[in-house]
Order: sequence, then structure tokens, then C-alpha cells
Amino acid sequence: MGWTGTSVRRKEDDRLVRGRGLFTDDELEPGMLHLHILRSPYAHARIVRIDTAAAEALPGVACVLTGREVAAQCEPFMQIGPPPCDKIRDLPMAVDKVVFQGEPVAVVAAATVALAEDAAQLIDVEYEMLEAVVEAEDALSDRSILHEAAGTNRTWQGVFEYGDVEGAFRDAASVVRIPRMKFHRFASTPLEPNACIAEWTRQGSVEFLCNNSFPGFAQQLLAPGLRLKADQLHIRTYDVGGSFGNKIWNYVYMALAALASKKAGGRRVKWTETRTEHLLGSGHGNERTYLDTEVALDRDGVITAVRSRHIDDCGAYTRYEPLGCVIWSQVLPATYKLRNMRIDFTQTVTNKCPVVPNRGYSRMQQLWFMERIVDICAHELGIPADEMRLKNYITQFPYETPNGCVYDSGNYPAMLAKGKELIGWDRWQREIAAGRKAGRLIGIGIGTTLDSGTNNFGQARIVNPFLPFSGNSEVCTMRLDIEGAVVVCLGTTPSGQGHETSASQVVADVLGIDPSMVYVRPGFDTAWNTFVGHSGTYASQFAVTGLSAVHGAAQKLKAEMRRLAAFMLEAAEEDLEFGTGAQGPEVRVKGTDKAINYWYMANLVNNNNAMLDESLGDVTLNVRHVYRPPFKVPDTERKFGNLTLTYAAQLHIAVVEVSRETCRPQVLAYAAVDDCGTLINPQIAHGQVHGATSHGIGAALMECLDYDETGNLLTATFSDYCPITALNIPDIAWGNIETPSPFSYNGAKGMGEGGGAPLHTMSAAIQDALHGAGVIVTGSHHSAPRLFEILQQPNRDEAVSVERRGGKQGRR
Amino acid sequence: MYPAPFRYHRAATLDDAIGRLVGIGEGARALAGGQTLLVWLKMRFDEPTDLVDIGRIPGLDAIEHDTKGVRIGALATHARIARSPLAKQIPIVGDCANGIADNQVRSRGTIGGSLAAGDPSCDWPVLLTTLDATVHCRGPAGARTLPADGFVQDLYATRLEAGELITGVSFALPGKGSAGAYVGFKRCAPAFPTSSVGVQLTLNGDDCTQARIALGSAALTTIRAQAAEAELSGRTLNAQVIARAAEAAAAAADPVPDQRGSPAFKRSLIDALVKRGVEVARRRARGETVEVSHEYY
Ligand SMILES: Cc1cc2nc3c(=O)[nH]c(=O)nc-3n(C[C@H](O)[C@H](O)[C@H](O)COP(=O)(O)OP(=O)(O)OC[C@H]3O[C@@H](n4cnc5c(N)ncnc54)[C@H](O)[C@@H]3O)c2cc1C
Repeated sequence: MGWTGTSVRRKEDDRLVRGRGLFTDDELEPGMLHLHILRSPYAHARIVRIDTAAAEALPGVACVLTGREVAAQCEPFMQIGPPPCDKIRDLPMAVDKVVFQGEPVAVVAAATVALAEDAAQLIDVEYEMLEAVVEAEDALSDRSILHEAAGTNRTWQGVFEYGDVEGAFRDAASVVRIPRMKFHRFASTPLEPNACIAEWTRQGSVEFLCNNSFPGFAQQLLAPGLRLKADQLHIRTYDVGGSFGNKIWNYVYMALAALASKKAGGRRVKWTETRTEHLLGSGHGNERTYLDTEVALDRDGVITAVRSRHIDDCGAYTRYEPLGCVIWSQVLPATYKLRNMRIDFTQTVTNKCPVVPNRGYSRMQQLWFMERIVDICAHELGIPADEMRLKNYITQFPYETPNGCVYDSGNYPAMLAKGKELIGWDRWQREIAAGRKAGRLIGIGIGTTLDSGTNNFGQARIVNPFLPFSGNSEVCTMRLDIEGAVVVCLGTTPSGQGHETSASQVVADVLGIDPSMVYVRPGFDTAWNTFVGHSGTYASQFAVTGLSAVHGAAQKLKAEMRRLAAFMLEAAEEDLEFGTGAQGPEVRVKGTDKAINYWYMANLVNNNNAMLDESLGDVTLNVRHVYRPPFKVPDTERKFGNLTLTYAAQLHIAVVEVSRETCRPQVLAYAAVDDCGTLINPQIAHGQVHGATSHGIGAALMECLDYDETGNLLTATFSDYCPITALNIPDIAWGNIETPSPFSYNGAKGMGEGGGAPLHTMSAAIQDALHGAGVIVTGSHHSAPRLFEILQQPNRDEAVSVERRGGKQGRR
Repeated sequence: MYPAPFRYHRAATLDDAIGRLVGIGEGARALAGGQTLLVWLKMRFDEPTDLVDIGRIPGLDAIEHDTKGVRIGALATHARIARSPLAKQIPIVGDCANGIADNQVRSRGTIGGSLAAGDPSCDWPVLLTTLDATVHCRGPAGARTLPADGFVQDLYATRLEAGELITGVSFALPGKGSAGAYVGFKRCAPAFPTSSVGVQLTLNGDDCTQARIALGSAALTTIRAQAAEAELSGRTLNAQVIARAAEAAAAAADPVPDQRGSPAFKRSLIDALVKRGVEVARRRARGETVEVSHEYY
């Protein structure tokens, strides 16, 4: 209706493309101090001694802080996990020992950044090396324990079992076994790194300008951590250059800046992360190993059961974890209709950078796993990849998954048809056949994925029944300003998604005005009273939580305006209409020129209220709306319940050729079909699809956070990490279908994470290209050197086995 | 990410620069485009006391060629070389210049700095070895020339003496029937190549009378693959001959394992790149226009 569904030009872009955005690091003022963090060069070591005297003596240095001092002034951050997680002392700085390379061991606040770095170099730290554990399975042996008080590296274990798994395997026509698969470690590396400015004021409160993306959560951790009341933390964001979940746990660094400001007598302290610091210590994506996977199939190639053991590697601290141990189960069966599943899920800490909820968080790991299963079974059973999917896709909606999640809407076969059309499936089949005859390693692959959005925080109780979290919510405050402007404040922290634009569209539709007449304040501010504990931008939810809050607030404001107008125009409320007249936005009596404009209404309430009747005493034209999705607390015993409100879907198809000469995987064609329900702003959605796709292609082909056996990060610069850039992004053919969600007021579904679709798609296409060479793709990273190794030693014999029951026997 | 403090000097002339470098001694470094040096300083791998900026010394950035040969001043940037008529006339030079890093790096980085850095992954030392170029130097003891082949002696070590600067490079124009190609393989623009290969052949039809092959990122310094050259020189080129040369080049390489791949992978790349380089050189010798540059991923 109206503005919804149109590509209104992004309001934010005017300031951003002119270089007039305000990112945290842009804020500079005389007298401000700059923070440098001295980080551990070792992954696991005891801190024997720290000598800061020389650093403190350097002119221009305001203060130096070490772990001891931090520990004396802080409470360890709250842990989400059940015992033994409560024994993990998570402080913003290492105290007696370091557990990952890059962990802060001291900070210096000085007059300039360069000076702070000079001083940090003068800090003398003596380390006693400890054995590092970098592989998850090795860590689980507890050979070397990171958090000694916890007594183990294992942070969580649980079994997710649904349906009749044993029965399904007993009755299976074939069983496919895949002993080991691995999802690699990478991160979405936003253009703007973490940054914050902290000021410990004379009143004992702390002022933050930062780019934290989940301030509702950060405040709850920081306040007790800094021994302050929540209201003593004033947290603000403005323009943010990408987040992708990576900025959720920069509250750790906010604490360090705050403590440095406190020690420096309340001077403002700025910290801006460098790229190498970002790669070393800002948060990585979860790494996951899948062991002893078994898949039961019926005679027609329909998957009836899956069982497997998953080990998640969360790096050195649990921070947002072990939430990842349940988040994946939002998409337990992926897009497939199997009813019997048993996943034994374990998580461990390792001496690597802690993980963050990176774009596609924990779900893409599960979706990749399921897509691998589908493709490996298809190849081994000789079923074409598209047919295999059509046999197994869920087709009825709303659909309740075996673990109680409700997929709101979707049409996967239609997406597949559209994807095939976009890429030219039939033509490629012929070209691939011809290419293979000529000896080329060329293949086509499909990746279907889900982007579950608006999560039910009640799922946290599945990892720890005692957590006081459930549901979800978001806030919008809105008022008719003193001069009649519509001013909107959001509880979200936009970081490039165009929230100012989309929110304006929604308000404009409710009030019947132009989006340019709606002013949405940039950024987030706790002082606006526009936040709840869930406030922030994460987990693909703005289109549902954020916009539902905006919509609700606009309705409330409209109701007040209607009452006010009815009184002033001496008309019945139902005779009024909203729109724009000669004097700007107004409310008028239908079919007449009797109208009252916004300025007049605002002035009545704010300046001229003796004109008003007593019955309008509650009309303030200043409203607050909290949207709460309809969730119940899940059954933690059965691990059952609706964990997410909406399920956007992506279906990607790629044609990839692996060079016989160089092993370079080259994308010859790429199609991305998206379904995020009703589109609010198609151009913004398209941009999100493009970005998520690029991120996924980068992760699949280029990006890997590789550690050596001592826990030394080998990819700590962009020259080594090689994030994807425009030069490596193939042309992406974009398609869209809309299956409106029945669960959101506007039919929209949260989107933006894309569930890592390209990761599944690349694995599928590469497997298709290399299957003839005896290769089964069991890893998610496909750089040329890795493809070289696998082509040298084709793995099909160890990577998969097929048992066919009754009649014909399998290959092995 | 911030260098340790240093003093900055801007040299007005070559002699001024040499004088300052000699006068300051140990702690001084010449600064050209800064695309290698500043990275080291920012990471604090190196903490010189003084930087002598040679970047504005006039007359050191000329790109000239006549019938006798080519002369490129030490301060010519990768970007300027890439856009120069020379890059069109001698395509192997364009291959190299265009393949280096991204626009930003190419706009500042210089050919002299690339040689002086002594980095086994830098492209110019490999190209100049392939072309049998001469390096022109001037130092406190006066001017001298050194062959590009062997100019980089060891990891980050060159034959330059203390206070000595590169003023330029020169090489002969490839003769009739002589053509070359420079090919590299890298993961993305701002990454150094995983492997790179320069090939220059003198051909009479398919008969190869002379061959020069140099390898980058293949050992601790640029190496010349003489055994591979021997496989080609004096032979009629065919798939077998080329394969033997490629194999010999791969065998001559001694790559280190790192982020970019295992030694086995890098050897296989060298094998592939030699074949590709020979192929392109052959086509160019026949008068075809072939665009090649570094390959990504
Ligand atoms: C992100 C990135 C990617 C890169 N990728 C590539 C690549 O793919 N291929 C490639 O070849 N290079 C690459 N480079 C390096 C780049 O080509 C540099 O420009 C080059 O290596 C050095 O040239 P410079 O002028 O910048 O030298 P500087 O950095 O100024 O100096 C380098 C060293 O040489 C010395 N020096 C400089 N000029 C002279 C001179 N005339 N006489 C004596 N000593 C001198 C300096 O004292 C210093 O020790 C990359 C650089 C970056 C930052």
C-alpha cells in the first residue's frame, strides 16, 4: 500500500555519499585521549610480570591500565551458559593469563594514537608459555584447559532428538554415511572497525559514542561489569559502517575505554580498532565439525532421518555463547521435510579469538550441513541435484518442524524454477556436458537456505533453563514536534540497512504523507527512552520488530491526532481523513476543505492548550510503542517450541569451473533468488541480497581465519585474509518472489543475513565439478591451494559410504 | 599501526640524498613510494631514526626508449609505467606493471623501491631478471651498474652498499622474433602473488633460439630457471618440450609454505604459469595481441 513496496531513495545516502556521515572515529576534539591496546602475541600463556613504569613516564601519557587494576574495578561479565560456564572469569582484559592471541593485556591512554602506541611498546610483559589448543576435538580432550576454574574446555553439550530416528534407519532403503565435515572460520569484517569514545563523567555516569550493534544487551552486561546502574550508562550510536553481528561484543572494549577515562580523571577517551586488531580480536564466526553423520533415505531418495554429532568451536571466551548451541535449531531440518533427527551438540573453547554472531549466525552452519547431506546423497545415489531437492522440500505452510518451529510461508520449488530460469539451467547442462568431455572440471550447484528472523529469546533457556530471557521486542517513539514535524526515534542501530528510509515509508503510509515529511533520527540513543533489552540490529529482524514498532507508534499517534482534529473540526472521527493539503500534512473532514494542519495540532498541545477540552488531557502527540512478537517460552526438556517468527528463504545457483592448471575456482554464472515476504523497499532488499551474496562467495572461495598449531593467526592483515572486493564479485542475476508472512503485520520477513547461501552453493557446484575426479566436498572453504590438495588426493573413498538395503548392493 | 617516531628529510637532489643517508648512517632509510617501507614501519618491523624522502628528486622518473633500449627512472611508479607507450610496445612490461596490487599501491609504488625492497614476492625484480636488465646505482663511491639478475641476494637483502641508491634500470629492446609474457597468480588485488613467472623467448617460427625464465615468490629471492631455459633453447617448441621446461622450472623452485599455499601447490602453479607464459609469448611472437595480467583467487 502506498510507499511500501517502492524503492524510495535512501535518505541516509545524501550525507554518506557526500562524506558528511558521522562515524565514531570522526569525532575529534582537543584534549581527547587516545587509547592503544597492548595485545598478547601468544595464544596461551601465563602473565608472570608486567612493568609499565617506562610507559607511564613517557610525556603525553595520561594513564596505563593492566589486568590487575581492571579486575579490581570490574565484575566479570555475566555468562549465559550453565555450569561450568559460570566459572569462566570474563573480564575485558587478561589478568593472570592470556587465552588467545590478541587478548588485551594493558592499555595506554595518551595525547595521540601514535604516542599511545609508542608507550605500549615500552610495557614489558613476561610470559610463561602454555600449551595452546586450536582444534576443537583436541580441546575437548582437556589436555590443556583454558579456564582452569571451569575444569574443562567443554562449555555445553546436549542432544536434540525428534521423531523415530532408530525406526527410520531400520526401515531405510539406503543409508549414506559421512564421517567428517568441517565448516571453517571466517568473519564478515565490516568496513568500519570497532570504535568507541567513553567519558566517565563527574556525576559518575559514563557517556559512550560507539558503534555497538546491540546496545540493549551491552547495557545489561556493561552496567554490572562497571559496577554502575544501567541508567548511568548513556550509549549513543550515529552512522555505523557495517556490523554483521561483529559489533555485538565490542562492549568489552567500551569497558576498557571507560575505565581508562575514569583513571584519566574523566577525560574523553577514544579507541578505534586497527584492521589487524579487528582480525585478531574483534570476533570471528563459529567453526563447526560434523562427525559420524548418517542419513537414512527411502527407495525414492527421500531423506527420512539424519543423525550426527556436531562440535562447535567458540574460541577463547563464551561471550554471546553458548547461544549458538541452540540458534542453529531454528533451522533444524533446513528446507526439508524429514521428521526424524538426532543431533548431539557439543561446544568447546579453544585458544582462538572468541566468536561473535556473524552474519548468518549458527544457522548457516546447520544449513550448510543439511545442504551438504542433500548434495552428497544426490551424487552418490545418482539423483540430479534439482530433483533431489524437489523430492525433499517442504511444500505446505505454515509448517511446524520436528522441534516446534513454525515456518511461516515459502515456495521453494518456485524459487528453484526461477533460479533455473535465471541461470539458464538447461543450456548450462549442455555446456557442462560438453566441457567435461573436453576435460574441464565444471559443475553447477544449488544452495537453498533460510534466513530466520526475529528470534524468540526463550530459546536461550534451552541452553540454560535459568536464564531470565524470552520473547523479543523493539521500540519506537514518535511525536508531532512543536512545529508539526513527525519525529521518529528507533531502538535499532542501523549500520547501512537504510532504517531511516524504511521507517519513513511506513509512517508515510499510515499518515498518508510523503516519506520526506518524516524525520527519522539517525542512530540510537538511550536518552531517547526508545529501547528495551532486545534493542539493536541483529538476527534479521528490523523489517518485523523495528517496523512493527514504527507501525504501532504511528497508529497511536494517528489516533491521538484524530481525536484532536475531531474536537477542533467539530466532526466525527470517522468523517476524517489524513493527507496532504495546501498547508502541508493535515487532517480534514472528508469531502470538504475543512482541515487542520500538523503545525496547528502540535501547537495546540504544546503552546496553546487552553483551547483544548479536558477530555483530551491524555493527548500528548508523543507516543511510545513496544512491539512484542507472539512467542511462548519453549519446552526446555524436549527442546521444543517456536524459536523464530519469520523464515525468509534464498535459493542460489552457481556454475563454477576449477582450473586444471591452477586449481582456481572461477564462478562462470551466478543467480540469487530471494524471498523475504512483502518487500518494503525493493532496492534496499536487493542491496542486502547483493551484500550477503558477496560475503558468502568471499567466505567460500577466499576468506579463512587460519591459525597455526601454536594459535598464531596467519591471516591477520587484509593482504593475507583477502576479503572479497568488487574485483572478485561475479555478476549476480537477481530474482525475487514474495510469499507474505502471515505473522507480521506487513507480510515482511526479516532479511539481510542470507543464511550463507553462497557457501552451500559453492560447495555444491564444486562438488559437481569434482565428483567425477573422485572428490566429495566436506569442507566449506575452497581456495585454490585447498582444491589442489584435494585433487591430489581424492577423498571419495573415505569421505562417504553408501549402504543399500535389499536388492542391489551399494558401491561399498 | 603507527610508526615509531622518526625524523623526516626531503632530499633536493640525488647527491643531497646520498649525503644525508651516509651522514646519518645506520638509522637512515630512503623513502620512495612508501608502499613497502611504510607498511614495515607501521607494523614496527623496522624503526629507522630518519627517513630521507627521495620522492621529489627531479629527473628520476623518466620512462624513455629509443632504438638502443629502454631506460626507466627509479621513481617511475607502477601506474605510470602501466600507462606508458612502453607498456604497449613491450607487452611483458605492461603485464607486470598492471598486475601489481591495486590502483592505490600502483599510483605510489616505484620500480626502484620494488627492486630495493628485496622482497621475493615483488614483481619488478622478476621481470627485470627475465629481460636481463641493468640496474643503475649511485652512491658515495660514485655511479655503477649491476645486473638485475642476482641484484636481490637474499631475503630483503640487495647488492646496494650503504648510502647507495638505485637511479634507474635499463634493458635492450627485444629483438626481432623476441616476445615475452609475465604471468602471476594471486588471491586478490592487494595480495602479493602466490607465484609469478616471466618468460622471454626468441623464436623463429616454432624454433626457440633463446629463452629466459625467471620465477617470483618461488624461493627467498627471485630465481632464474636456467634448467628450464635449457629445455627450450635450441629446440622446436611443442607440448612435450614446453612440459619439460615447466617441470624443470617447478623443480628449480624452492617455495616456502605459507598462507598462500604449500610448496607442492606453488610448484604446480609454477608449472602451469610457465606453460601459460610460453604460450602467450609464442602468440605474441606471431604478432597476436594477447592481454594477460595477474589472475585472481
Ligand atoms: C597492499 C599492497 C600490495 C602489494 N602487492 C604487490 C604486488 O602484487 N606485487 C609487487 O611487486 N609489489 C606489491 N606491493 C609492493 C609495492 O609494489 C611497492 O611499491 C614496492 O615494493 C616498493 O616501492 P616503493 O616505491 O613503495 O618503495 P618504498 O616502500 O618507499 O621503499 C622500499 C624499500 O626500498 C628502499 N628504496 C626505495 N627506493 C629506493 C631507491 N631508489 N634506491 C635505493 N633504495 C630504495 C627503501 O629504503 C625501502 O627499504 C604491494 C604493496 C602493498 C602495500
